[in-house]
Amino acid sequence: MRSRTAPWVLLAPFLVLFIGTMIVPIIMAIGYSFTRVERSGLLGEAGIRSVFAGFDNYIAALTNVNFLQAIGRMILFGAVQVTVMIVAATVLALLLESASARWPGFFRAAYFLPYGIPGVIATILWSFLYIPGLSPIVDVLGAIGLDVDFLGPNMVLWSIANIVTWTYTGYNMLIIIAQLKSIPGELYEAAKLDGASSLRVALAIQLPLIRPALMLTVIFSIIGTLQLFAEPRLLQTMSAGITSEYTPNMSAYAFAFQYNDIGMAAAQSVIIAVAAFLLSAIALGVSNWTEKRR
Amino acid sequence: MRRAMKPRLSRRSALVGGGAALAAGLAACAPPNSGEVNAAPTIPAADGKVHLTYWAWLKDLQKVCDVFNASQDRIHVDATWIPGGNSGGYAKILSAIAAGGGPDIAQVELRQIPEFALAGAIVNLSRYGFDEQAPKFDPGALTQAQVGDTLWGVPQDTGPVATFYNREVLEGELGLAAPTTWEEFRETAGAVSEAGKSLISLDPSDGSHPIAWAMQSGAVWFRPEGDGWIVDMTGEASMRVAEFWDGIFADKLVGTGYGSFTTPWYAAAADGKVLASISGSWSDALAKTVPDGSGKWAVAPMPTWPDGYASGGHGGSSAAVASNSKHPAEAIEFLTWMCTDPAGIDAMIENSGIGWSPAKDYIGEVRKQPDEFFSGQNYNEEVIVPMAEGQNLDWTWAPLMQRVQAIVGDGMTTAVTGEVPLADLFADAQTEIVEIMRTIGLNAEEAR
Amino acid sequence: MSTADATTTARRSKPLGNAARAARGDGPSGRRDAGRKPTTTIIVTAILAIVAIYFLVPVYWVVVNATKSTEELFGSSGFWFGENFQLFENLKAVLTANGGIFPRWGLNSLLYSGVGSVLATYFSVAAGYALAKYRFAGRKIVYGLVLGGVLVPGTAVALPLFFLFSSIGITNTYWSVLIPSLVSPFGLFLASIYASAAVPDEMLEAGRLDGVGELGLFHRLSLPQLVPAIVTILLFQFVAIWNNYMLPLVMLADEKLYPITLGLDNWRAQTDRLPEFYQLTVGGALLSVIPLAILILVLQRFWRGGLTEGSIKG
Repeated sequence: MRSRTAPWVLLAPFLVLFIGTMIVPIIMAIGYSFTRVERSGLLGEAGIRSVFAGFDNYIAALTNVNFLQAIGRMILFGAVQVTVMIVAATVLALLLESASARWPGFFRAAYFLPYGIPGVIATILWSFLYIPGLSPIVDVLGAIGLDVDFLGPNMVLWSIANIVTWTYTGYNMLIIIAQLKSIPGELYEAAKLDGASSLRVALAIQLPLIRPALMLTVIFSIIGTLQLFAEPRLLQTMSAGITSEYTPNMSAYAFAFQYNDIGMAAAQSVIIAVAAFLLSAIALGVSNWTEKRR
Repeated sequence: MRRAMKPRLSRRSALVGGGAALAAGLAACAPPNSGEVNAAPTIPAADGKVHLTYWAWLKDLQKVCDVFNASQDRIHVDATWIPGGNSGGYAKILSAIAAGGGPDIAQVELRQIPEFALAGAIVNLSRYGFDEQAPKFDPGALTQAQVGDTLWGVPQDTGPVATFYNREVLEGELGLAAPTTWEEFRETAGAVSEAGKSLISLDPSDGSHPIAWAMQSGAVWFRPEGDGWIVDMTGEASMRVAEFWDGIFADKLVGTGYGSFTTPWYAAAADGKVLASISGSWSDALAKTVPDGSGKWAVAPMPTWPDGYASGGHGGSSAAVASNSKHPAEAIEFLTWMCTDPAGIDAMIENSGIGWSPAKDYIGEVRKQPDEFFSGQNYNEEVIVPMAEGQNLDWTWAPLMQRVQAIVGDGMTTAVTGEVPLADLFADAQTEIVEIMRTIGLNAEEAR
Repeated sequence: MSTADATTTARRSKPLGNAARAARGDGPSGRRDAGRKPTTTIIVTAILAIVAIYFLVPVYWVVVNATKSTEELFGSSGFWFGENFQLFENLKAVLTANGGIFPRWGLNSLLYSGVGSVLATYFSVAAGYALAKYRFAGRKIVYGLVLGGVLVPGTAVALPLFFLFSSIGITNTYWSVLIPSLVSPFGLFLASIYASAAVPDEMLEAGRLDGVGELGLFHRLSLPQLVPAIVTILLFQFVAIWNNYMLPLVMLADEKLYPITLGLDNWRAQTDRLPEFYQLTVGGALLSVIPLAILILVLQRFWRGGLTEGSIKG
C-alpha cells in the first residue's frame, strides 16, 4: 500500500529550501520590477517614496540601447561559443572513445581539470596570459610578427569566450562520453561486419545516439551564456572594451548595486529569465521536432 | 488499515492559494528604503564608552584607528576591510544600510557623496555642527564633500592632478621639457610620438580623466540651484577641453590602449616607451613601482589653459557617517581627528597610503622631504601644494556620478576612434543625464 | 528529454554480456574494433596531445610564475622560470598575509562546499527519488517548478534574497552562503532519472511486503543503488558551490567569512594600487588550484564509472 505522505516527507527539505531561496525571491523581484522611487528636494531630503510604475521599467529596459546591445552580444557569443564548444566536446569524446587513442585516462583527466578551477580563478589565470607585458603568448606572437591585443574592444568578447570554452569543454565532453559508453556493443559489431569506416560509424551510429546528451549540454550552455557575469566583470578593469553593462547580467547588477535602481534591475533580471526559458524551450522543441522527423 | 481522509487538492483551491501567496509577495514588495534620518532629530553625544565600526578599503586602517583608540578611552573604533567601492564595496554598504544595519562610518569617494546622500544612506553633517570644523580643512577637499551649503562627508584625501614624468628620457634623451600649457602638451606629445614613444597612455573607458580636465578648465557640470540641478556640459570651458582632445585623438598623439599604472603601462614605462602620467597626486606611490625607475622621474605641474585653474581633482575619498549609526557625534569627533590632526594624517600616510592630505596647512611629515625616486625633488612642497591650492572650488558632484562616469567613459571609447567626437559626446551626455535625473525623481535642467 | 530512451537502452544492454562489458567501459577489447592502424593512432594521439597542451597552459603558467618575484613577473618570459626561485617565500607570504587570512578563506571554502554539497546531495536525492518512485498529485507541478527555478539567473535572486535574509538577520554570516547552497535542482533531476532506472519497483514492493517502512526503503534499499548518482551530484555541487562568486559577493561584508574565490578577487583588485598583490594573487591562485585539481582527478574515476552503470543520461 503506497503511503501518501512518504513522498512529501522525502521532498520536504528540498522543497522548503527551494521555495525559500528561489521562488520567494523571484516573486519579490517581480514585485520590485513594478515599482519606482520618487524623490523631492535636491537630494531627496524632502521625501522618498516607492510608487507603482506599471510596465515603465520594462519599457525602459527594452529601449535602453546598452541593454539591447548586451543582449545582442550574448546572442552572438552564445551562437559561436556554444557551437564551438559542443563540437569540440563531441569530437574529443569521439576521439577519446575510439580505439586509436592512447592513454585515454590521462587525456580525459587533463581535459576535465579546468572544470574544477573556479571561473574567478580561471579568469585571473587567463588574464595573466592576455595582458601585454605579462603574457608569454603575446610575446611569442609578437616575435613572429602578429600583434594581438586580447583585451582590445574587438577581441575581448572572444577572449572571454575562450575562457568559458576552456573551462567547460571537458565537462561537456564527459557527459557525451557517458552517453557514448551506453551504446550497445552489438551495434558496433554489426557496423564492422558491414565494413563501415570509423567516420561512418561516428556519423550513423554515435552521433544520433548521443542526441540526449548533446541536448542537455546545449541547453545548460545556453543558460550559462545568459548568466555570464564573473568573467567579464573581472576583466573589466583590464580591458577598455568592457563597459559596466557589457552583459545583461552585469547590467542588472550595475543597476541594482551601483546605480541603486532596484526596479530597473529587477525588470532586467525578469527579462533575462524569460529569455532563458524561451531559448531552452525552443532548443527542446527543435530537438523533439528533428527527432520526430527521423 | 485506515485510509487517512485527505482533502484532494482541487484546482480551484490551488489557484486561490497560489494567488494569495503571490499577492502577499507583491504587497511586501516595495524595495526597502533607507529611512529619512536627516529629517529626524539629531542624536546627542552619548555618556560613557562608545564603539564605532568603520568599513573602508584603505590598507591597514585598523592601525590608524588604534592610534586614536590609544589616545583616549571614550571612543573605540574598529575597522573592517571591504572591497573597493566600485568593486563591490558600495554595493555592500548600500545594501547593508538599506536592510537596517551597516557600519557607523563608511569610506565613500568624494564624487560618490551626493549619490549616497540621495540614497538616504548618509548623515547630513552640517546638522551636527561639522561646519565649525571647516577652517581646519583644505578648501579644495572640503568643497568636494559639499552640496550647496551642506556638508555630507569628512574629506579623507584628495588627488590634485600633476604630471609625473620620466625625466631621464623626456629631458635627457629627447631634449624636451615637461609641458606647462596645453599648447605645449600638444607639441611635446607630437615630438615624443615622432620618436616612437608615447607621452601618456589613456584608458579611454576611464571617465575620470575628462572630468578632471573639465574641472581644471573651469567648468561646473552640475550646479545646484534652489531644489533642482542645472547640468552644463556644453559651456565654453567644457567645449575647449572636448575640442582639444578630439584633436589629440585624431592625430593619435597619445596612447589609447591602456591606462596609467596598469600592467602593460608598467611594462612600457620600464622600457621608456610611455613617459608620463597626468593624474592625481597618489600617482607618486604607484610610479615608484616602475621597475628600475629610481632617480629617473620627476614631477611637474599639470598643463594649463591661459585662464582656468591650476589643477583639477582626480580621485579622493571621504569618510561618511552612515544613516543607521547611533553615534554620529562621536564619529565626527574621531574623523575630525583622523583628517586634520597631524598624528592622524601621519598615521594614514604611513599605514594606509592615502592621497593628498585634507588638512589645511599640514601635508604630512614624510612629505616634507626631497625624494630620491623623483630625482631629489621636494615635489610635494614645490609642485603638489600649488596644485592643491589651485582647485576649482565651484565644482559640485552630482548624485549619479557612477552613471555619469560610465556614460562619459563609454563615450570616450568612441571618441578615441573618431566615431563620436567628445564635442558631440558632451552634448549628448548632457541631455541623457538630465533625462536620467528626472527619472530618478530629481528636478534637472540643461543649461541654456 | 528522452528518459524513455535511456531506460530502454538500459534494459536492452543488461542481458547481453558483451554489451554490458562495453557499457562498463572495460576498454576497447570486446567492443567494436575499428581496425587500429598505427598511423591513425599517431595522428589521433597527436591531436589529443595538442589539445591537452591548450587545457594545461594556464596551470603550467601559474606553477612556473608562482616562483617569481614581482619584477621578474614583468621582466622574464612567462613560459619559463626567472633567475630567482622564490616559490617558498611567495607561498609563505600568501599564507601569512594579513594575519593568515588565506588559510581562513580556504577553510571557509571547504566549509561551504563540503557541508553544502553533502546536505544538498542528500536533500536532492531524497526529492528526486520521491518524484521518480511515487505517483502522487502535484508531481508534475513540482517538476515544473524546479525546472523554472533553474532557469532564473543569479542576479534576479541575489538582491531579494539579500533583503529576505537581512530581515531575518543572517546576512554577513556563514548561513547566508550555506543555506542557498543546500539546493541542487540539477541534483534533483539527475537523481530522479537515475532512480527510475536503477531502483526497480519489484525491489521496493518486496521490501514493503517484508514490512519495511517507506523511509527505510529509501535509506536501506534504494540509496545503495543510487551511489553513482550520489557521487556525481556531490562532485558537481561541491564544484558549483566552490565556484560561486555572486552569492558570497552579495551576502558577505566581513573578509573573515570569504571563500577563496572572493578573497583572491579582492587581492587582485588591489593590484591596481599596490603591485605587491600580484605576487600574492599568483601564489594564492596556485594554492587554490591544487586541491580542486586533486579532487577532480580522484573523483573523475568514480564519476566516469558510475554514470555508465545502468547507462543513464537523458
